[in-house]
Amino acid sequence: MQREAAIREPLILGNKTYKDITDDVVGPIEGPAPMGWKIMITIAALIAVYGVGSILYLLGTGIGVWGLNKTVGWSWDITNFVWWVGIGHAGTLISAVLLLFRQKWRMAINRSAEAMTIFAVIMAAIFPGIHMGRIWVSYWVLPLPNQFGSLWVNFNSPLLWDVFAISTYFSVSLVFWYIGLIPDFATIRDRMKKPLAKKIYGFLSFGWSGRAKHWTRFEEVSLVLAGIATPLVFSVHSIVSMDFATSVIPGWHTTIFPPYFVSGAVFSGFAMVQTLLLIMRKGMKLENYIHVKHVEYMNIVIIVTGSIVGVAYLTELFISWYSGVEYESYAFINRFSGPYSWSYWIMMTCNVISPQLFWFKKIRRSLIATFILSIVVNIGMWFERYVIIVTSIHRDYNPSSWGEFHPTSVDVGIFIGTLGIFFTLFLGFARFFPVLALNELKTILKSSGENYKKSHESH
Amino acid sequence: MAQNKRYWSGLDELHETESFQAIREQEFPAAQTVDEFLSDERIDATHTGRRDFLKFMGFSLTAATLAACETPVIKSIPYTVKPEEVTPGVANHYASTFYNGQDYGQVLVKTREGRPIFIKSNGVTGRGKVGARVNASVLGLYDSARLQGPTSGGEAAEWSKVDDAVRSAFAPTVAGRKVVLTNTVASPSLRRAIAAFCSATGAEHIQWDAISYAGLRAAHRSEFGVDAVPRFDFAAAQAVVTLGADFLGTWGDTTRQVPDWAANRKPEAGAMSYLHAFESVMSLTGSNADVRTPVKPSELGKVAAGLYGHIVNGNAGSGLDEATSKAVKAASDKLKAAGAKALVVSGSNDADVQVIVAAINQALGAYGTTVRLDQPWLLGRGDEEAMSRLIEDMNGGKVAGLIVHGVNPSYAHPRAAAFNAGLSKTAFSVSTAGWADETASRCKVVAPDHHWLESWGDLQAYGDRVDFVQPTISPLFKTRAAGESFLHWMSAPSTDWYTFLRQTWNAAYLPGGMFTDSAWNSALHDGFMATPDSGQAQFMDGVAPGQNVSRLGAALQAVAKVAGGKFELDLYQKTTLGQGDQAANPMLQETPDPLTKVTWDNYVTMARVDMEALGLNLYIGQEKPASVVNVKVGDQSIELPAFLLPGQKPGTVGIAVGYGRGAAGEAIGRAAFHTNEDGSYAIDANSGLVPIGKNAFPLAQWVNGLPVFSQYNVEVTATGATFPLATTQIQNTYMGRESIVRETTFDAYFQEKDAEKGKASWNKLITLAVHEDVNGDGKINAQDGKPTAAFDLWHEHPVENVGHRWGMTIDLTTCTGCSACVTACHIENNVPVVGKDEVRRHRDMHWMRIDRFFASDYSLERGEEEGVGKIASYRKMEDPAENPQTVHMPMMCQHCNHAPCETVCPVAATTHSNEGLNQMTYNRCIGTRYCANNCPYKVRRFNWFNYPGYKKFAHANPAQDALTRMVLNPDVTVRSRGVMEKCSMCVQRIQAGKLEAKKAGTPVPDGSVVTACAEACPTHAIQFGDLNDTRSTVRAVSENNRAYHALEEIGVKPNIFYMTKVRNTTTQPTQA
Repeated sequence: MQREAAIREPLILGNKTYKDITDDVVGPIEGPAPMGWKIMITIAALIAVYGVGSILYLLGTGIGVWGLNKTVGWSWDITNFVWWVGIGHAGTLISAVLLLFRQKWRMAINRSAEAMTIFAVIMAAIFPGIHMGRIWVSYWVLPLPNQFGSLWVNFNSPLLWDVFAISTYFSVSLVFWYIGLIPDFATIRDRMKKPLAKKIYGFLSFGWSGRAKHWTRFEEVSLVLAGIATPLVFSVHSIVSMDFATSVIPGWHTTIFPPYFVSGAVFSGFAMVQTLLLIMRKGMKLENYIHVKHVEYMNIVIIVTGSIVGVAYLTELFISWYSGVEYESYAFINRFSGPYSWSYWIMMTCNVISPQLFWFKKIRRSLIATFILSIVVNIGMWFERYVIIVTSIHRDYNPSSWGEFHPTSVDVGIFIGTLGIFFTLFLGFARFFPVLALNELKTILKSSGENYKKSHESH
Repeated sequence: MAQNKRYWSGLDELHETESFQAIREQEFPAAQTVDEFLSDERIDATHTGRRDFLKFMGFSLTAATLAACETPVIKSIPYTVKPEEVTPGVANHYASTFYNGQDYGQVLVKTREGRPIFIKSNGVTGRGKVGARVNASVLGLYDSARLQGPTSGGEAAEWSKVDDAVRSAFAPTVAGRKVVLTNTVASPSLRRAIAAFCSATGAEHIQWDAISYAGLRAAHRSEFGVDAVPRFDFAAAQAVVTLGADFLGTWGDTTRQVPDWAANRKPEAGAMSYLHAFESVMSLTGSNADVRTPVKPSELGKVAAGLYGHIVNGNAGSGLDEATSKAVKAASDKLKAAGAKALVVSGSNDADVQVIVAAINQALGAYGTTVRLDQPWLLGRGDEEAMSRLIEDMNGGKVAGLIVHGVNPSYAHPRAAAFNAGLSKTAFSVSTAGWADETASRCKVVAPDHHWLESWGDLQAYGDRVDFVQPTISPLFKTRAAGESFLHWMSAPSTDWYTFLRQTWNAAYLPGGMFTDSAWNSALHDGFMATPDSGQAQFMDGVAPGQNVSRLGAALQAVAKVAGGKFELDLYQKTTLGQGDQAANPMLQETPDPLTKVTWDNYVTMARVDMEALGLNLYIGQEKPASVVNVKVGDQSIELPAFLLPGQKPGTVGIAVGYGRGAAGEAIGRAAFHTNEDGSYAIDANSGLVPIGKNAFPLAQWVNGLPVFSQYNVEVTATGATFPLATTQIQNTYMGRESIVRETTFDAYFQEKDAEKGKASWNKLITLAVHEDVNGDGKINAQDGKPTAAFDLWHEHPVENVGHRWGMTIDLTTCTGCSACVTACHIENNVPVVGKDEVRRHRDMHWMRIDRFFASDYSLERGEEEGVGKIASYRKMEDPAENPQTVHMPMMCQHCNHAPCETVCPVAATTHSNEGLNQMTYNRCIGTRYCANNCPYKVRRFNWFNYPGYKKFAHANPAQDALTRMVLNPDVTVRSRGVMEKCSMCVQRIQAGKLEAKKAGTPVPDGSVVTACAEACPTHAIQFGDLNDTRSTVRAVSENNRAYHALEEIGVKPNIFYMTKVRNTTTQPTQA
């Protein structure tokens, strides 16, 4: 029996038994949908429908319905792509990296964080698809044997690396998430009384019987997948950053980008986890499993990664000055003093200054403050990508082509729409999936459960 | 034997069975007849089951369905009798001549499968090169708004009825004035036909032009007794002073003047001509001037008087401010130094100013060298007095019949309202316009003329030569040559126009019989024929030179009295649209003005101080519309958006004429009207179409009976309204980036003209700092640099000295920014026209653009000296100087040998050819736009919409009209939605040239392949050729020490070289 130091805060509060955990997690799935959920998913679905409509309009008419122009060839599309991919980072980091580091607190949050990852990556994958002028030939980015002659993809292009990176990341994340879900689906199956639902959950649980052999394999596979997923956490956003870093455009051509993007991604991913979980724990009454300590841990990650991001911003500024390169130096002067300086200062405030508030324990442990700041961080991270993309290309080498970018309603509609799709999927997840890794949680109940800890103390 | 057989086709053969032998014996097996087959009783024994039946039926159904899915076959019908000379896929070129009352130029018309699709200069004539307005005119041929036949009262009519109506209205017995109103008739045959018509019917002939040269002619009549516009020989001029004459853009015979002027602007020759411009609104000429002095329109006469004073009696004029006086002194010194090789030109139509200018040229001894009154220009012969009298008589109801040909006075006459009122009182009126334009739609009858590409004709711009117009396509509609109409309208139509034309040249100029068919054919082939006459004689006043009464004294007094108000107005013409007869040409409307870079509109140009005083928007952008101002002239006013044009004289405003066509919704073309954001036509309060821009012709003033295109006292007020303007360039300066633009003075150039590149101070080799002691001074510091060629991330593309390496050189010294290359490129390459709203969104599709940079008087160095921070310095550098120097820099795909676009394309849709071309494979493009983002020159253009089909472009894009589509070049793909495109260096021409050489069995000769832009360039600023060909021009120019690569330090190794701009000034160019 694993013992945990008494000084550590318990991870599961209250007087919980194994059955309580099962009831708490599976109960909402069995019961009728609450009114609040119905309202939320209706709103989310309506926004999603609007987003899908915007996408169809875009595909039917042409990229011209966006605000892009001859100078600014990417804007909200790739900003949204990088933003969603970044958000998709937290899940795998929590489940894989924290698993390897044996951070038990992850068990309360990994399921929803992974779900968020999957959904965020799906949202991200929409954008490289729809941003293409001819989406109907998008399969040409895959190195498929073809009858076009000797046509092959261009392995020099970072966009191609993106295709591989994102698809690998998505498939590994999905498998990892699903493997974790299998024992929990089996639990639901075993309790489910409605025949159809029982059949579905039975199918989803792949005949899990809870035998020791199953558990051994489960643990082994989890570890192996964690090992595979960990490098992906770093590779995906490194490769996304190379879209910019390998270009010749001042403000994009920056060797600092891979680590800077990865930490930025973890930063925004954790912020999104906070936003979602703070709502979910309230709505689904999971306060005993996801509590202040979890929030505090995540806030610490946010401080660390936020500071890395801040240092990266300052390094960029320093290097642009130190390089003595006219274009590089102008690109950054323009960033903070040009026509889009407002976006730069939003980014700086949200990403560098606001997370520093978490140095104060009171703020770090305040759920309201965390919720607000988590949203602020994600606004900041959206603007970080916007700043990098738009302010760099709107004024690059040749002043005759300096331009501006103004988003259209379709730009906005598609972005809001992906938020709608994302929340629809996430709410669906919250309703029909075990939102906590209940079987994993049971493994720490006796070491980190509040009542057990107290009873250990009394011995 | 059979056993020895080693090969057999079956066991039957091996075993030599009976049945096999029977078949072998029978060489032609008897076919079994159908009757026999059906009567065979065994057939009944066979069995087709239900399943088999269903199988057969299923198969048949599927097969039939699949057959129906087959792509529709469009049958092309071959010629029954193939015309000689027409080979599908092979272009034919025909020499012809363009004349529309303003532009005159000899051209070659390229036809494909009988369709004229491209117009370029006729190189063998030695008479200049045509500009954008001429080469874009090919679109007009296929304009579906053209009249498709004669009309009477707006309804389609038969030619015979129209002819009867005209004949009875112009019968000699009809009382009242009968007038044939035309532009300056440049065609001797048409003149002859009109003369014959007039003598037969008792009509009179009045010539009138929208852009009047009457003042210039009046001056030469009073000073020299010759009522003509002299030829200005810029090729002979070493010092040129222009007083508001835009001789590089719109004034005079631009076709000849531009190349002539540029011929003296080659610094390698050891001397450059000098150009000083005095003007109010920065014109194309002013932007190319070595020194430009902004003056008010009212001061132009005083400047002329000042020049005259300095040159003749050392008596400087008065009434000018100090700076202008100094400039006048400097200009007069240059003129005096050049002596007979000096030239002063004035664009004013005020005879007083022209008299003084003529006196200056006379005093300099320029007559005979740079001013050739002995070789007069035969155009610009409008008679303003006769026209004014005509308008009066029309209003007095004294005009019984009016034939209008080649002019549009209802639009372009400053007193158009009076003309229109008179026209309604005229008993009978007929127009020969090809469109139901402002005048034609008000005439009772329209007898449409052919488009010039469908016409036979002869034209004369100078007396020593006649140029021919020959049809390149049979008339598309039921139109008729105007000359033939005149012949028909005489009492006895005896001959057709072509025969009449031939007779002109048989009878009038050549002894009978000499002008044989072969002489005629060779003249048509060349496009011209020499005639023995100088042309001057016909304009002699009857007063011998020297006996005329000079008006100089009176003129000097008159110009001294001219006073201006708080604001003065200068009416100018835009290089793109000229007098406005092609206002419905979408290609010209979308070609940016060379100075303002605004498309699809006219506007009020203003100086910054004036705009600030009125609180107007200084910066125009996608969401930053221009402020609308009201310009009030007497009792007329015009409301237009205000545009900040650097170099504008404070206290003056400028408005371009040529806009506001079709104000009453006349059908002058699809592209002539404003459209909404969705592409539908904008509708005004009276539910009429909204014309593009406003007509500024009525604002002209009248001086001594002549219209002068300026006003000396106008009121300018802000209206508070805003109006969007669409510009292709919103940043005006080059921000001190000398690796993009390099410029120097002639003095500086001359001192180091033999220095190699890098040693010459004006063309420094760009080096990148390395951590090595390169210069050997024992220290490793920032001075240790290596040229960019030393750094290479990639493998060299094997293009150096292997096969061809296509490249281009562009001389910034001789590029005037005229934009002929822009229209030529876009017509050659089917570049889509996208309309105003898309240009406003910075989505112009221009493969070829001309970056126009104004100099700023601020720099980082100056900021440092003044203690201003870098941020503030950069901000100030964004604004041009008050009177800036200008650089016109053609910019297109640089065909980098290490192209950044090529590496980033995920599907390898853009690749490098082994001939140095950066190629774009449209079929492979998936449209990620990554290449465009990564292009340092920003020359890639994305197909945001389906331009040939989407409703937004229905009125703008030529490809959306079934007829106008005929102008598309069949050698170039029309790009689909969602793909990237850009300059291909006219790869279709390169391929064609290579094939020709291959057929001839020779290497590709230098000059046999030429891109559309290089071909169109009137000053030879653009040279194209094979850089690997050591004897090619482009190779020689690229090795010149003025050559540089734009943005060399990025190391992309372009195949396009620019040549440092050299200005003939002593002062250093203002730091940009």
